Amino acid sequence: MTITVEPSYDDVQMLVDEVWTSFLGSEEPLLPGAPTDLAVGWSAAVTVSGEWHGMVSVELPTGLAEEVTRRMLMVEETLDEDVADAVGELVNMIGGNVKSLMPGPSVLSLPVVAAGRVARPSDSVEVCRLDASWAGTPLLVSVYVRKDA
Amino acid sequence: MTISDSSFAFVSDLARRETAMLYDPGKEYLVEARLLPLAREAGCTDVDAYVLRLQVDAAERAKALDALTINETSWFRDMAPYQAFTELMLPSIVARREHTRHISIWSAACSSGQEAYSLSMLLDEHLPPGWTAQILATDISHKMLARVEAGRYSQVEMNRGLPATSLVKYFSRAGSEWEVNDNLKKMVRTQHLNLSTSFPPLPTFDIVFIRNVLIYFDLDVKRDILRRVGQVISPDGFMLLGSSETTLDLDDHWDREAHGRVQVHRPVGYANVPAFSPQPTPESIAMTGA
Amino acid sequence: MYALIIDDSRAMRSILRRIVTDLGFETLEAADGQEALDHLNAGRIPTLCLIDWNMPVMDGYTFITNVRANSEWRDITLMMVTTESEHGQIVKALAAGAHEYVIKPFTPDAIADKLELLGLVAKAVPA
Ligand SMILES: C[S@@+](CC[C@H](N)C(=O)[O-])C[C@H]1O[C@@H](n2cnc3c(N)ncnc32)[C@H](O)[C@@H]1O
Repeated sequence: MTITVEPSYDDVQMLVDEVWTSFLGSEEPLLPGAPTDLAVGWSAAVTVSGEWHGMVSVELPTGLAEEVTRRMLMVEETLDEDVADAVGELVNMIGGNVKSLMPGPSVLSLPVVAAGRVARPSDSVEVCRLDASWAGTPLLVSVYVRKDA
Repeated sequence: MTISDSSFAFVSDLARRETAMLYDPGKEYLVEARLLPLAREAGCTDVDAYVLRLQVDAAERAKALDALTINETSWFRDMAPYQAFTELMLPSIVARREHTRHISIWSAACSSGQEAYSLSMLLDEHLPPGWTAQILATDISHKMLARVEAGRYSQVEMNRGLPATSLVKYFSRAGSEWEVNDNLKKMVRTQHLNLSTSFPPLPTFDIVFIRNVLIYFDLDVKRDILRRVGQVISPDGFMLLGSSETTLDLDDHWDREAHGRVQVHRPVGYANVPAFSPQPTPESIAMTGA
Repeated sequence: MYALIIDDSRAMRSILRRIVTDLGFETLEAADGQEALDHLNAGRIPTLCLIDWNMPVMDGYTFITNVRANSEWRDITLMMVTTESEHGQIVKALAAGAHEYVIKPFTPDAIADKLELLGLVAKAVPA
């Protein structure tokens, strides 16, 4: 039987904040937000497997995903492949740091990116959920672990 | 919405009185950027309303002062001073302290502690066996001192100038942060100290790092601080300032010596101090300084 | 001076490219370890490699092992720039021959600080 260990909300919030301010600038802070039903335009996920098993996902409305892409690539116009790349790198950075919060060693997967919601494995439960907003737009970071049999 | 002239005057006056830090006209944007989050937190509509609150609320004033101080720092900041530490200062002091086998260092205006812990890593690597060392880390900000004691740093802070080999040697993960190991923590002691007022009783230091803080003070305050540092440094000791700071025209109690890219400051007359001298008393310092 | 930027994300390569260009490097790019090895095998030998860990085809750790196995490439400075931040992983990369390690997320200053540590850029210190 695997023991379900989960990252603390504060740790996840802190590392997401660091990813955000490092690459998207500190003039607009990432603020904790109330849970909303956000219109997911883009999402991305990475899985962690080894001593700890889990999945980390990021969900963003289209406009925000595009803004993130513009800031990372320093371009005016974004193609879908650019957005997929940038959102993928975002979840890679968040996921890699979540992995380090947990008992290791574990392996991080390459990101899976989707226009819309990425499917999460049916045998998993959400153990940490960070609702936030940036420049008035909501976003969601979640950590899932496998349900104990 | 920008801060009013009178609010700015109040804040710059407060900063000057309490910390001797200068916020000259032209720095309005900075004051505003630093106070706005506090204003929001306190439920004030804007910075001016918050400044009104400051005039009557001492606890809030302390918070505002903390927010106004600049805590920018990094590991092995500017590198050259730390090279001078290992190559010049440490060997020189070690050669002269055979009788005590102890080195005493002051990290004045230590901010979150990267300077003190950088020095402790070098001591761990270069101090001869059987020797002890104490680093006193002081700052005006209680918040910063608490951070030094916790010895915990974020990922972003860790990346700033810390060699990867030192990271794996001296730190372990603590949640989303990294924590410095107990060996190094044992070398570092903290104390609250305002540089711009007279010092509390202090030990005599062999090496003083007082970097990137004098820039915030006016000439008279700088002079006075340097004079008082002169009273707590051993006559054969070393003082290091920030890379843009110098004692030039400030104080004739200090000699300057170049080591690589840094200027090392030494009490005037240091060359005449005999090796293995007993620990200097305040009187003997006054004599060498004359 | 050339820097070879090895990362499967174009966004990340673009961020790193801007940073090292500002520090005086010309840049080459590769989307995985194999592409990076192809550069080296074709004689494009950089001064510095910035290396992500998790990439398709060949990961950054394997790339480092390959570079270290070839004595003609021993002058290349290898710096990991990755989200892998377990203590053990950092030890492993250093043991395999990485000179430095930057954990994502980072700020441009962090890259500059590390390259200064490595003696690849000189910081302008006022005299
Ligand atoms: C820019 S940091 C320098 C940190 C470190 N010495 C370095 O060089 O990286 C300046 C520090 O000076 C402290 N400070 C400001 N005014 C002070 C005063 N009057 N007395 C003591 N510390 C003060 C601040 O709290 C801050 O932590």
